[in-house]
Amino acid sequence: MTAAVATPGSFWRTFRRDREGMAGLVLLLLYTGVAVAAPLLADPAGLSRINGTGMPQSPPSLAYPFGTDEDGRSVLTMVIWGTRVSLIVGVAATVISMVIGTGVGIAAGHFRGAPGGLLNRLTEWFLVIPYLPLAIVLATVFPPAVPKIIAIIIVIGVTSWSSTARLVRAQTLSIEGRPYLERARALGGGHWHQMRRHVLPNVMPLVLANTTLTASIAILAETTLSFLGLGDSQRVSWGVILDQAYQGGAVSNHSWWWILFPGLSLVVVVLAFNLCGRALERALDPRLRGATR
Amino acid sequence: MALPATQRLAETAPAAEPPGRGRRRAALTPRYVLGKVLASAVTLAFVVVVNFFLFRVLPGDPAKAFSPRGRNADPQRLVQIRRDLGLGLPWHEQFWAYVKALAHGNLGTSWGQKQSVVSAIGDRLWPTVLLSGTALLVSAALGMWLGARTGWRYGSPFDRLSSGVSIALYSTPEWLIGLVLLTTVTGTAFPSGGMTDPRSTLPGAVDVAWHLVLPCLCLVLVYIAEYSLIMRSSMLDERHAEYLTTARAKGLRDDLVMRRHAWPNALLPSTTLFFLSLGFVVSGAITVETVFSWPGLGRLTYDALRGPDVPLLQGLFLTFSAGVILMNLVADLLYPLLDPRVRAA
Amino acid sequence: MTSPLTGRSARRRAGLALAAVLALLGTVALPAGAAVADTPSPAVDADGSAPPDGSRSPAPPPRTSTSFVMGIKQDIDSLNPYVGVVASAFEAYQLMYDYLIGSSAKDFSPEPQLAESWSTSTDGKTWTYKIRQNVAWSDGEPLTAADVVYSFQRAIDGETENGQYGNYVTNITKVSAPDDHTVVMTTSEPSPSMLYLLVPILPEHVWKNVSAKQVATFPNNDRPVGSGPFQLVEAKKGQYYRFAANKSYFGGAPKIDELVFRVFADDEAMGQALRAGEIDMVQDVSASVFESLRDAKDVATSDSRYSGFTELAYNLGAATVDDKPIGDGHPALKDKRVRTAIDYAIDRRTLLDRVLRGHGELPGGVVPPIYPGWHWSPGDDERRFDLGKANQILDEAGYTKGSDGVRTMPNGGRKLELRLFGRENSDLSKRNVEYVRDWLGQIGIKVNVQIMSEDNLTVVIGQGKFDMFEWGWVVEPDPDFQLSVFTCDNRSTEDEGEVSAGWSDSFYCDESYEELYTKQKTILDVSERQTVVKQAQRKLYEDVVYSVLYYYNNFEAYRSDRFTGFVRQPNDGGSMVLQYGTFTYRNIEPVAARADEASESSDTGLWVAFGVGAVVLLGGLGTAFALRRRATADERE
Repeated sequence: MTAAVATPGSFWRTFRRDREGMAGLVLLLLYTGVAVAAPLLADPAGLSRINGTGMPQSPPSLAYPFGTDEDGRSVLTMVIWGTRVSLIVGVAATVISMVIGTGVGIAAGHFRGAPGGLLNRLTEWFLVIPYLPLAIVLATVFPPAVPKIIAIIIVIGVTSWSSTARLVRAQTLSIEGRPYLERARALGGGHWHQMRRHVLPNVMPLVLANTTLTASIAILAETTLSFLGLGDSQRVSWGVILDQAYQGGAVSNHSWWWILFPGLSLVVVVLAFNLCGRALERALDPRLRGATR
Repeated sequence: MALPATQRLAETAPAAEPPGRGRRRAALTPRYVLGKVLASAVTLAFVVVVNFFLFRVLPGDPAKAFSPRGRNADPQRLVQIRRDLGLGLPWHEQFWAYVKALAHGNLGTSWGQKQSVVSAIGDRLWPTVLLSGTALLVSAALGMWLGARTGWRYGSPFDRLSSGVSIALYSTPEWLIGLVLLTTVTGTAFPSGGMTDPRSTLPGAVDVAWHLVLPCLCLVLVYIAEYSLIMRSSMLDERHAEYLTTARAKGLRDDLVMRRHAWPNALLPSTTLFFLSLGFVVSGAITVETVFSWPGLGRLTYDALRGPDVPLLQGLFLTFSAGVILMNLVADLLYPLLDPRVRAA
Repeated sequence: MTSPLTGRSARRRAGLALAAVLALLGTVALPAGAAVADTPSPAVDADGSAPPDGSRSPAPPPRTSTSFVMGIKQDIDSLNPYVGVVASAFEAYQLMYDYLIGSSAKDFSPEPQLAESWSTSTDGKTWTYKIRQNVAWSDGEPLTAADVVYSFQRAIDGETENGQYGNYVTNITKVSAPDDHTVVMTTSEPSPSMLYLLVPILPEHVWKNVSAKQVATFPNNDRPVGSGPFQLVEAKKGQYYRFAANKSYFGGAPKIDELVFRVFADDEAMGQALRAGEIDMVQDVSASVFESLRDAKDVATSDSRYSGFTELAYNLGAATVDDKPIGDGHPALKDKRVRTAIDYAIDRRTLLDRVLRGHGELPGGVVPPIYPGWHWSPGDDERRFDLGKANQILDEAGYTKGSDGVRTMPNGGRKLELRLFGRENSDLSKRNVEYVRDWLGQIGIKVNVQIMSEDNLTVVIGQGKFDMFEWGWVVEPDPDFQLSVFTCDNRSTEDEGEVSAGWSDSFYCDESYEELYTKQKTILDVSERQTVVKQAQRKLYEDVVYSVLYYYNNFEAYRSDRFTGFVRQPNDGGSMVLQYGTFTYRNIEPVAARADEASESSDTGLWVAFGVGAVVLLGGLGTAFALRRRATADERE
């Protein structure tokens, strides 16, 4: 991956020609639209269990296009509102992960000696501890006063930054060796100045491409934590719907609609993030761009 | 492993340090080996310290969780159990005792399993290695083969289909695949769960293999994408390399060019990934082990959270990280042997 | 770049490396294969544990066709009766060992087990048990009164042992055996619990080799010696436990040859296994899996009455046993009128119909109706769902609604904003708390639901840092423990500034209740004691200490094409397994001589699997070959 990226304009031109990437982008925009317009699309009162108006677990019909759940709530309403929660969790966790990853990565690459070493060890620790067991452990640490959804966001963010940090550190090391940074140092530029003005702009493209891939992982992670019963059942996400469906016997009662629609939404959005991420990588990396032709 | 462990590594291994490009070109000197071994030891020591404190922060009342909730326990008894578990001691004393025992290979006694942590982990280690290891081998082999073909034939209908399916599966949580398999396939040809059938009349190994198919398939479907996509992109890299043109110019058949020249060079990133993933094999696959009642370490970890069973959690996380650290070391040491450019140098 | 030559040698290198990896994995996989290949051999090697005398046990008997396999959801934590705590472990102890006195299948009343008969002195403090003659341990040694004395003495003296069985023996001051078949125990005060001594009788000649220190980790999984109707022959932790029938059991030989508990991590998989005939019975499955099994072929389902209830509990003012206030409970909950209003706002009928899908009963006191003699029902005094009445009570009590629809306390202070905690590993709990939250919203009480692990909940309850929570209890045939949960002494204790939880989770402390509790503890006459127990429950209901939400049923299902003769406890619609006793296991028998079919069908399944696998493999190879051919063809063009 190279820091010598083309201008934003040429980047966009490359991206636009990437059919995979554009498909991903369109899907993401579509789902973002659903998330933003949720209050217009479905009445939030339909999320309350005591307001379940349909027959429990009835298949899709005109009144309930996605069928109903165990309490007679419309699965469509839940999927629409779930879009919001799932995307917020995914994006928020990604932001946390990117900020920590970039910060630690740059600092670890910039500072030599003990501080850098310690940051390296910390990154290593997160890299050698398996992701899910750690996430499960951390998810149980938070005091009850912290809303579960915040806990989940933090947990996912905190457990997924290490690979970004490693990437950024490698990039920082290569940038630090360049002549203009030697010049900046010679001119007495402070650490902060060097990192902000010279290193950060050069690692940003790398971070950007990493963002979409991390977002896909974050959304999957939220779903998996929910499946293990650690999700925030108060704020219905796709993962929570799937968990409720599984616990509610959708599998043995063949209530396929209860799993299919949230499951499909999940796979489509994660897929869209992955497609976008890969397209970004291609657009940023001239080596791969050549291959695309 | 909700996300295949390798999913994270996918971002790291090929992208951060594209093997054969930026990655260290060290020869296998004694100095290099010693350095790598030392670094691993330091990381392991760091892991021991951090793990100890991590699990002390977990909320819970083990004394209550691990005594019967019934007439058999009275409040005084709870106080007694807390003392027995060493919960009252100051942290530094607990830590010192832990390190001392660790030096003797003693990981303590699991509160929930009522047996030594070493034997509790030992009981579940092989099932996990069997499941995750088989899945890793199969997916790496199939994925590399698939990736090589699709990369070489870039843009063909087969490539489009295979890449599309790969990415879609890659975007699916493996337990969702597990649920689908559980409802559609089990009860007909494959068993619903577990590792053996106590009533089976089959030879033990066959019985286990039969039980292994579905959970393994679940993992393979998700993991395979990773290897095929990486192999595919390395193949793309190699496709236009000069030496291939030379080879073609010599009149070699296309598939021979691929097998003899492109494939060996493109193999490196996937092989690195394979070794890194190997380290994560011991940590198991929590969700798949849950859906298929596989008696592995992933499931044990989830169970150990109840309480929490601090000694067992400590032991498990130590085992997991030791596995990863060891395999990283192996990858580092094998790297100079594998990289033709290093060799040539 | 590299030359073609280097490329080739590199390939050889890579090939070598891959071979090395395969070899490595091979060594890893082989022991695994070997370990599982010899399933009929004792499983204990995995643990490296040997019996105390160091001898190795003989191989377990070969598999028999009349084995009964039951799915369990919780692995047995230990086969050592002094350390295991989960329900499935106690089920195993009942199979392997005997108690002095059992509980009848009819109504849990005491019935002879090892003790043929028993008598009490006039002051109620001396108990004499006559031990059955001609009972033998599984290794042939006779079981005598000495073993009984040894077992009780160990439960009294041993630290670990006392932790497990302490409450049964706290009253006992002396245990002795005047002869080989008589045991005499003296107690400090008259105690009805002497009829429910669930202390397993273990063989002294084996357990004397297990020291007080060893006992905490002794696995007891290598052909343990017992006297019960089934004896353990193979234990595979996390997988299954095989028990062979004791054909010379004094209570009658079991009609099956083998009993297997198989561990499942998941309800759905367990249900599928029953449907496919891999197992013969499931118990404690979720309502949804249960419902789906109702239409399954050859499966009989049983909606068995159970001894558990689920409650909404309140923080009545958390304090330690020394009356020192702790925690941060909402003051409004100390007001009985608020709790009464909340109780009126809970539509139990809907919870029962929706959450339990009708598989339970509407509640009364804290002792469920499965124990009809002890159960108390409010009858006409029942507080039925009535939002209007709930609102009226709060209005009259001076809790006025603000502009946001939330009430404030009469002194104008705090708003009625309450925390409600649910449990994260229970789907039912999550649904219950959401229902309660939304109903309370309609009477001007704002509820903030928080879902947490049971471990976390245990801690916050002990510290009094809660307003309301949802949890449940399983009630024993003797109601003493359940009633003790509401006593002052069971509140939290404080020791050197650290608060430790007791069993009380409401912090109820009421003088007249204490009196009732203490009184029932010493009454030996059953019907007299039952009257007091019912009064105590009425008191709890009147004070709204708990809002019991429902009594839930236990879902059981079995293969009716294979086994028959299941026994319920109590006979009136109770559970078929996980009883106080081993009635079902001893009485079930194969329906007909078609036991071979099971293994045949699984073999058929295997062949189908192999067939499918072969087809897929061939298909894959064919495709690969075709693609290769095409690739070559492309190249030629």
